[in-house]
Amino acid sequence: MKSKGLFRELARIVGDDGVLWRPEDLMLYEYDALSSQRQPDVVAFPRKTAQVVQIAKLALRYNLPLVARGAGTGLSGGSVATEGGILLVFSRMKEILEIDLENQRARVQPGVVNLDLSLAVADEGYYYAPDPSSQKACTIGGNVAENSGGPHTLAYGVTTNHVLALEIVLPDGEVIHTGACHWDRPGYDLTGVFVGSEGTLGIVTEATVRLSRKPEAVKTLLAIYDQVGDATRTVAAITARGITPAALEMMDGFTLRAVEAATHAGYPMDCAAVLLIEVEGLLEAVEEHADEIEAVCQENQAREVRRAKSAEERDLLWKGRKTAFGALGRISPNYYVQDGVIPRTRLPEMLDFIGSVEKKYDLHIGNIFHAGDGNLHPLIMYDERNREQTACVIKAAKEIIMRCVEMGGSITGEHGVGFEKSDLMPLIFSEDDLALMSRIKDLFNPLGRLNPGKLLPTGKMCGELRGGMAGGGPV
Amino acid sequence: MTLAVDSVRADLAALVAPSQVLTDSAACAALAVDGKVPDWAVTPSSAEQVAAVLRYASEHHLAVIPSGHGTKVSMGNPPRRYDVALSLRELHRVIQYEPADLTISVEAGMAFGEFQNLVGRSGLWLPLDPRGGAESTVGGMIAANAAGPLRQGFGGPRDMVLGLKIATMDGKVVKTGGRVVKNVAGYDLGKLLTGSCGTLGVIVEASLKLFPKPPERATFAMRAGTLGIARDLHRSIRRSPLDPMRLVLLDSPAAALLGDSAAVPEATGVELWIELGGSNRVIERCMLELRRLASAVGATMGRREGAEEAWERVSNLALWLQPRYQDVTVLKAALPVAACEEFLSRAQQEAEAERITLVSFAQVGVGIVHLCALQETLSATFGGLVVRLRQAARDVGGTLVIEHCPLDLKSHVDVWGPGGDDLEAMRKMKSAWDPNGVLSPGRFLGF
Repeated sequence: MKSKGLFRELARIVGDDGVLWRPEDLMLYEYDALSSQRQPDVVAFPRKTAQVVQIAKLALRYNLPLVARGAGTGLSGGSVATEGGILLVFSRMKEILEIDLENQRARVQPGVVNLDLSLAVADEGYYYAPDPSSQKACTIGGNVAENSGGPHTLAYGVTTNHVLALEIVLPDGEVIHTGACHWDRPGYDLTGVFVGSEGTLGIVTEATVRLSRKPEAVKTLLAIYDQVGDATRTVAAITARGITPAALEMMDGFTLRAVEAATHAGYPMDCAAVLLIEVEGLLEAVEEHADEIEAVCQENQAREVRRAKSAEERDLLWKGRKTAFGALGRISPNYYVQDGVIPRTRLPEMLDFIGSVEKKYDLHIGNIFHAGDGNLHPLIMYDERNREQTACVIKAAKEIIMRCVEMGGSITGEHGVGFEKSDLMPLIFSEDDLALMSRIKDLFNPLGRLNPGKLLPTGKMCGELRGGMAGGGPV
Repeated sequence: MTLAVDSVRADLAALVAPSQVLTDSAACAALAVDGKVPDWAVTPSSAEQVAAVLRYASEHHLAVIPSGHGTKVSMGNPPRRYDVALSLRELHRVIQYEPADLTISVEAGMAFGEFQNLVGRSGLWLPLDPRGGAESTVGGMIAANAAGPLRQGFGGPRDMVLGLKIATMDGKVVKTGGRVVKNVAGYDLGKLLTGSCGTLGVIVEASLKLFPKPPERATFAMRAGTLGIARDLHRSIRRSPLDPMRLVLLDSPAAALLGDSAAVPEATGVELWIELGGSNRVIERCMLELRRLASAVGATMGRREGAEEAWERVSNLALWLQPRYQDVTVLKAALPVAACEEFLSRAQQEAEAERITLVSFAQVGVGIVHLCALQETLSATFGGLVVRLRQAARDVGGTLVIEHCPLDLKSHVDVWGPGGDDLEAMRKMKSAWDPNGVLSPGRFLGF
């Protein structure tokens, strides 16, 4: 497989400095934020679409898997070459090609870092709305592949609601352009199919995305609770008032204490849960909504409701939230994060259930939820050297995800199916549903060499989780 | 022929119920598409029945066209063939409604008006104002990705579909997406089916994301002397902190038509209509802001009471205009937002050269421009104009389609215009779903 000929041919396409093939170099590419899996045979760093085309053809000729990767921050193993082959890393295709504020759009290469795009247009009063917690590192290409979310997608939608057009290299090297810079281009919405297809249908080499206007006013509230149930009930009560906050996040006390130790954001150390709530828009509307939300929090026994008094205070509160996974990584050798979704009104019930699972298996579970849209990120702490405990984590995770499914939810809200959850797909999709998805995949990726083993069940161990268990743990 | 009609009728009746298959000429004529009358009209009452009919049609190479209440039937090229009409009107149940979660699942044939009434009782709505209005069915609205001016504030059906159940040509009922508001499991085939105009599969059930209704709404009409002033005005609105729900630029005849339904179009001045939502205090603030922006460019403004009827007309141009004029043609250009005025002036020039009057309604914040021709025109002449207008749209980076027109025009010009370099991928997509090419054949981009 690892032939010198292949390396030479790749070097001819992307230059000698654009290929990695030594095992010690490849080690850096054997994992993503889920876990370590296996090394690619070779890593290539293309600089332009034409090179991606050539590499796709080369992969075809060598009959090798071809896997695209941005920053490797994914949480479902999507950008790991689990079956080896060529790993295409887009860190050198990171140019913002065009910013068109009049039409509120930007055309970017896939390696552009999410936050960099927002920063590039910030002075003019614009930003790119989807904001995954890894936005300082993750790339637009990866966001498109995974249809990434983030705290502020509650009000503004996930990646797919902000992608207008794509340039895609198909596995046979053909280049197509989907979508348009305007609405309602006649034809099938292929853009909508490619977004979230996890690199299994084609490789995105350019994306045109929507830029949003920054709101006139923002208010960030921190509601502090002595009972977790009061916090989750507040979430449903806010929705019932007809208010859609820009973000509505929940962290439990266990998580908070870890976050506070790491970031000193000023979170209370002794509470059971907090809600981080943000409202945006016209000044008058924001004031009204903030007052109303504060009243709802108090009706639901919040101990205290704080409002960020400055942009710095706000940033600090968000820093705490966005670095929470890392903070938990400081206190546990490994953790396993889930991404289930439930109807938001069932949060209180779900939290009780997670609590019972925690007790049953004698584990610590930190809860960080995009509570406003019912997207749960329970983080199960463990030490992979403890085999017994690791086995319990797998069982606990399975029980939680099954409960999400029973409540009419989903196995993934924003992290993607990837390698991790592909064999859970039968929990929510019938054989016929999956057969149709396979047909769509075969249409674009008939040989299955594009990101193999992802998204669709492999059939090897139906209904099994195989996420963080494989090795490395948090990074 | 009669025998064949009877035997197919018997087969179809076995799949649904005898009373759900009609062959009489009146029933079939009512479901005609572009003058083509089907031989059989089937009205299934379950998703499985829809799937069974599709499978039968596919196996027997019978061309089938699905429809809801037929409000958007004028969209599309004439079908190459049309044997079986598949009406979804009997699928109109609510499957699951969770007002507290802001989600609902309904069958595809439910009327949009009935839908809005139901969720409206909990203070919710689906913020869409599709062609066909209350008469549209939920499934038809999604299949046509029909969005009206409310797209300005809320996006289109594409952004509100959480999941779909789809009957496929191999007789299956498949699911995509789900019922929760956030979900990335599997390929998002809901996006693919949205706007596929009934050519891939038949939407039988939809799960949708609901929104809280704004407590108050207000519409302001702003009168600008020229197109240039109007452009400056809506640019400054789009750069302001205001977040309009609808924003439409009416040329003089359009403003006259809308202002008084009985009036004959005459020049009064370009108008910009804007709708805002929120509490009274918020609307008060918006009004001050608007007044400031209007006076900065020398435009006048006033609040329009009871504007809902006028907005319905704007989202329903063809249905509103059709009974009042001999021949109505509605063209829709989809453009980069900043190119609207350039396109509008060029469109007027092209139309004047042909001595054709075009009335324009432009959703300037989202780049959708409707051009309506209200008089009888020779189709050959008008066909030439459409081709030139389509070029004008392309020149500014947009597209132009015919939404509604006299049948004759469709023999002169394609409804959709040319495809791009992803046309082959679309063709493959079509054949994967409908290998025998019997679902709405020829209606959509020649598929």
